[in-house]
Parts: sequence; structure tokens; C-alpha cells
Amino acid sequence: MKKLINWGQTPIILAALAPGLAFADDPFIQRVLIDGSRATQLGIADSAAAGTVTQRQLQDRTNYRPGELLEATPGLIVSQHSGEGKANQFYLRGFNLDHGTDLRTAVDEMPVNQRSHAHGQGWTDLNFLIPELSARLDYKKGPYSASEGDFASAGATAITYANRLTQGIASATAGQNGFARALLADSPELGKGNLLYAVEAMHNDGPFTHGDNYRKLNAVLRYSEGYANNGFSVAAMAYRGNWNSTDQIPMRAVNNGTLGRFDAIDNTDGGEARRFSLSGIWRQTTQETASKISAYVIANRLKLFSNFTYVQDDPENGDQFAQPDRRVTSGLNASHSWHWHEGDRASVTTVGMQVQNDNIFNGLYKTKARQVLSTTREDHIVETSTSAYVENSTRWTPVFRTNAGLRADHYRFDVARIGRKDDTLLSPSISIVLGPWAQTEFYINAGNGFHSNDARGVLDADNPATPLARSRGQELGVRSEWVPGLQSSLSLYKLDFDSELVFIGDAGNTEASRPSRRYGVEFSNYWKPLKWLSVDADLAFARGRYRDEDPAGDRIPGAIEGVGQLAVTVAPSGPWSGSLRMRYFGPRPLVEDNSVRSRGTRTVNGRIGYRISKRTHIELEGFNPTNRRDSAIEYYYASRLSGEAEPVDDIHFHPIESRTFRLTLNTAF
Amino acid sequence: MFRRLKAVLAAALLCGSAAVYAHNYHMGLADISYNPNTGNTEIVHSYTAHDVEALLMNLYQRQFDLGLEEDQAVLRRYIEKQFTLNSGGKTLRLQWIGVSASADNVTIYQEIEKTQLAPGTVLRNNVLTDFLPTQVNTVNIASSVDGRAAQTLIFKVPQIEQALP
Repeated sequence: MKKLINWGQTPIILAALAPGLAFADDPFIQRVLIDGSRATQLGIADSAAAGTVTQRQLQDRTNYRPGELLEATPGLIVSQHSGEGKANQFYLRGFNLDHGTDLRTAVDEMPVNQRSHAHGQGWTDLNFLIPELSARLDYKKGPYSASEGDFASAGATAITYANRLTQGIASATAGQNGFARALLADSPELGKGNLLYAVEAMHNDGPFTHGDNYRKLNAVLRYSEGYANNGFSVAAMAYRGNWNSTDQIPMRAVNNGTLGRFDAIDNTDGGEARRFSLSGIWRQTTQETASKISAYVIANRLKLFSNFTYVQDDPENGDQFAQPDRRVTSGLNASHSWHWHEGDRASVTTVGMQVQNDNIFNGLYKTKARQVLSTTREDHIVETSTSAYVENSTRWTPVFRTNAGLRADHYRFDVARIGRKDDTLLSPSISIVLGPWAQTEFYINAGNGFHSNDARGVLDADNPATPLARSRGQELGVRSEWVPGLQSSLSLYKLDFDSELVFIGDAGNTEASRPSRRYGVEFSNYWKPLKWLSVDADLAFARGRYRDEDPAGDRIPGAIEGVGQLAVTVAPSGPWSGSLRMRYFGPRPLVEDNSVRSRGTRTVNGRIGYRISKRTHIELEGFNPTNRRDSAIEYYYASRLSGEAEPVDDIHFHPIESRTFRLTLNTAF
Repeated sequence: MFRRLKAVLAAALLCGSAAVYAHNYHMGLADISYNPNTGNTEIVHSYTAHDVEALLMNLYQRQFDLGLEEDQAVLRRYIEKQFTLNSGGKTLRLQWIGVSASADNVTIYQEIEKTQLAPGTVLRNNVLTDFLPTQVNTVNIASSVDGRAAQTLIFKVPQIEQALP
């Protein structure tokens, strides 16, 4: 009598417009998940390159660093070229995105990219991210959504923190290379709502001779009432990190034995980061309408000391420089949707506005052992953007959907003592979805996007950068779930940029560069042949070229070409579980004439978990178990080591982690 | 077998209701009956899978897989909070038997061991009505061996608490 339930192999039916639908903002909501299936994107996504990653899939991943959570986006690579406290290095869709130039990232509706940042445009420091609080990750690749603006041309990712946890979490990790982490999180009921808290402490040295000594303290406190679609939440977050950096080192010194792969040249490189935020989200949903307002104030402070050329410019004091940046970012996002439904036809129209203001004090200083020797520049920047968009999603027939949007962005760049400049840009986008037939949908997408350029570059008297650099994307895609257990998507895209953002290795900054064009193909697969076995296989290739004539050549330095990922996750009903993940990012040009190319990078990581009891499990994670000697990043530029008479053009690289194991004990309470 | 039949009937009714009312109404069903063979009072709920999915998603902002025990436990916690029976000032202990989910419906099985509901037992049924203002929960109370007739009660906002016959 107790065993009433015979699960069987209940198939998931398509997310055709359900008659029981209630929410104006969720017209194409997923159907209930059964037996470990993955949510279908058929009938929901507007392109083959958009999707949602569930919390369980995020938990199944093995992350060396928190930013790697974003790698759940097919084709996205997250790496590091310096000390762990620094913003990550991103690659996607044929871009070396440096620290996030054309990848828009949001956590809980708060923008993470920092514009007009001292070190790199769009600086995306995700070290404040707590993976255990992440309820979902949504990604959209390509500029086809009116609700995404600045930095979203290669893609946009959004992480949603949970308002409540299904159970409290206590977790402790110890690992090689000085790794230790402790996390405590829960969401007890308080008054009419829940108070979520999370406290995280972490230390890591990494494989470096001069250890990173990365110390992190991180906390989240959030009160929420009601449901996500009919309720509110207010959150306070605080993060601080201090670290030493082992910046990229010249290949010649490693080849001739003067430096080890994990050695640093300037042991005083490193930094400190602080992030405090207050944010709130309010949503109200009725049968016919949905409203959402979110507001935030974020205070970021960064001290960053780097030395990429060693003693080239100043043989006596060395070339170390500081790029401090402190800012207060405040903003408001508001949207309102109307839902209309009649027979087979359904439509949602959304109007929205986004306002963001950054009050920034940043600079560039020449330093020695973190002591300022001279000031290169100091700026006070006020950058304000106001955006409005309208977007309509309509299902005209059961096999024909459209999504059309128009976005307007107005930017004001104000650099004290230099000047002020305004710019406005309109960005239309359209998606046509045909199908499903045989559980297969076809997508046609076209849209304009942009990235803003650094205010200091925009107001540069001699060589002003385009304030808002336009991108134009077109894409053909197909998504199929025709083969039972297999979800596949294929995209062919073209993306033009009026001005590329390129990292200048020896200057330690990103610069507005030449117009570019990319063609690419992405093939993503999720296969779940058995209830306890799933396989992810993603392949992507991109061809990027500058579009203008220049004797230097037409290759885009650092532009990634081939990317691959293969992951196998095993979760049988017993106590054991595990996963193994291989990723590859291939050789790419390091200079415009393609005469110097990087090597490819292959990494492997995995985990084995054992459930001791219903509440407790233990997990062993392994990173780079074969101890490959690959690079996380390679640049080509001139540098000079002490003892060298002249600067030498060379590849400079940062190594991937050495073989590392970490053991975690997790308890739910 | 009887339970299964009831669940199928409930599911069929739900689908019919949903189709008739388009997207304006959300329906739930609960059948309460006394099983003289076991001496237990049995409760079978049926809700639209879509509504349960939306509920859990908006509570925890994540996808739920009702094929997994740990995710069923979250639904259980919600149901046990929202569906309570009170007799003589005492909350009756509803034992959780299980849940079955299809793409269309979620069916929940509970029972009260060795108990027949006393007349006047108060049912508080706030399942989904806290989330969907238009949710209508129909509760069928089967005729009892002591001669009480079968009765159907409707629970919707603001009437979420009623005495059973």
C-alpha cells in the first residue's frame, strides 16, 4: 500500500501553450520535470543559442573558481591570467573577451560588468558569487534581445540567487595548494517571509611559487516575502578579497630555465577588492499583466598592481603600475508586461526602462612594490545611461512564433576636467521561430547590439573612441529533441562590430580598435540515455577578422577559434555519484598577421561524491589530474627582464592550475 | 486500484476543467474517504502539474524534478503546511504516502492512520490559493459508513477553512 507510485518512463510533452496558464510574464513556462529530464527549451527560447541551466546542473559542475559557473553556457570559457582575486578572463563566440568586454553578466538583476574601469572595459569580477545560492543561470548568445543592452553582443548571462533554500547548508573544503573554504547558509522563516543568510570564507595559494595567499570573506543577507512573481526581496551583499598575483611570464625565461612555470617576476603584484551592495526586487503578476522593479546600489573598490613588461620602461624601478578604481553604481530596472491570449494565439508585450549611474574615481600610477612613484592619470568619471525598450513575443499559430524588439540607449560620459559627451543608439531585434515539427524548431535571428567604450577613450582629444560601438548579428539555428533523451542545438551566426575592444598586453588596458566580422558555428548536445547518466558535448568554431585594410594584418589578437567541451555526469540512485569534464580551447592568433599563434589548452577536471547519509555527503574534486602544462592565456608583446639589454618580443603566458585535489564535506540542516 | 481509478478520474476532470475555463481558472481536487478495510482515512489530491511547477519555481526560483525524493520533500513541506485537518482543537497527523507526477498532473496521496474523521472536523485548504488568487479547490468527502452523505466543498480565496460534514 505504501508503494503506490509507478514512475515508468513518462514522456515530457512539448511546452505548447498550456491552457492552465496564469502568468503574464511566463507565457511559455516550462512543464514539470520528471525523472531527471532537462527542461525543454522548445516553445520557450527564441534562438538556438539561448537557454536555462538548472540549479542541479550547476551543482553537478566542478568549478576551480566561482566564475567558472558561467561555463555552463555552451561555448563559454572562463579562465584567469593573474591572481585569483582578479576578474576572470572570458572567451566566447570567437572573442577573447578579456575581463568581460562583450559578455553581459548580471547577478540578481545587478550588472556585474563595470564600465570605464581602470583596468579593462566591462570588468566582470565574479569572486563574490556563491555557487550554492545560484538557483538558475539564463544565457542568451548574440544581440537578439531588446532587454539586454551594453556588453551583450557575444552573449548575456544572468544568475538568479534563491530567495529561500530548501535546506540549510554547512560545507567545509580542504585542498592542495593552501585551499580551504567554509560556507554556512540557510533561510529560516522570519515574520511573513524568509531571511536568507550565507557566509563564506576562502583561502587559496594556487600552484604558484609565490602563493596567491588569496583571502576571501563573503556574505549575503536577504529578506524576502511572497513568491518571486508576487512579492519582494531586499538583499545586502559584502565581499572582500586580498591576493598576490603571479602575472603572465615570458616563454623565453621558462625555456632557458631562468624561470619556473609557476614563478613570478614581481612578487609585489596583487590587489584588494571590496564589493558591497544593497538591492531590492519587487514583482507583481496578475492574469493579464506583470510588473517588475529592481533597484540597486553597489560600491566597488579595487586596488590592482600589475607588471607585464618587468623592467622595459624603467630599468631602475621596474614597470609595476597601479590601476585603482572605486565607484558607486546605482540603478533602476522597471518593466511591465501585458499578456493577451485567444485560441492558439498568445502574445506578451513588455515595455521596460533601465537607468544606471556610475560615479567613478580611477587612475593609473607608476609604482614600485605597491608604492606610488608617479601619477600617469587620475580621473573622476560620471557615466549615466538611460535605456528604454519594447519587446513583443507572439505565438501566431502552433508552429509560428515571433519576437520583435526595439531598444534605445542614451549615454552621457563626463570626465572631470576633460569634458562631456552624449550618444544615443537604437537597437532593433527580431526572431522568427518555426516549428516544432517532430520536436524540432528552426530559428532566424537578427539584431543590433553594442558596447560602450571607456569614457576616457571617448573623450580622448587626439583619437576619440566611438562612444557606443555598434554590433550587428544574424543567426540561423535549429534545436531538436527528436531523438529521445537527446537535446541538440546548432547555430550559424555572423557578428559585425564597428569597433573591437582589444586587450593591450603591455599597457594593461583594453582599447577601442578596428571594425571586425565573425562567422561561427556552435553545436551543443545534452544526452541523457539513462536516468543516471548524462553527457554534455559542445563544439564551437569561429572565424574572426578585421574588416578594414591595414598592413598590420586582419587577424584579431586573442580571438578564439575552436572550443570544445565534453562532460559525463553519473548519478545513480545509490550513494556514489561523479562527473568528468574535458574542455578545450584551441590555438588563436596573437598578432594581426597571424605569424604568432597561441597553443591550444586542454583541461580535465572531475569529482566523485559519496552520500554518507540523507543529509551528509563527501566529495573529492580533482583538477588537471594529468598535470598538463597548458596555458590559461597567452599574449604576444615586448618585455624586458633584468639582465636583458633590449626589450624582446615574446609570448607571455599564465599557466593553468597544476594537479589539485579538494575534499569537501557537505551537511544539510 | 480504487485509488488509481480515482486519480485518473480526478486528472480527467482537471483537464476538462482547464480546457473549459481556458487560463482564467486553476483547479485542484481532493478526495477524502474512509477505508473500512484498513481503518484509515485516505486523501488523494490532484493538481495541474503546470501550477505546481510555477508554484515551486516562484518559491525557490529553480526547476524541480518531482521524480526525485528530495524535490518531492519540498512539495510535501508545502502541502503539509497548506492542507491541514483539525478536530477538537487538535491537528490531525496526515501521513505522507507519496506523489506521482505526469506532464499534466501531480497526484498526492496522504492518509490518517486508524482514524475516521469526526463530524465537524475543520479543513484548512490553502493549496495554491496563496499563489494563484483564482485557484479553486474542490474537496469531495465520500459518504461514510455511519450514514453521512457524500458532500462536495469548494475552497477558494477568501474561504479556505470549512468544517466537514
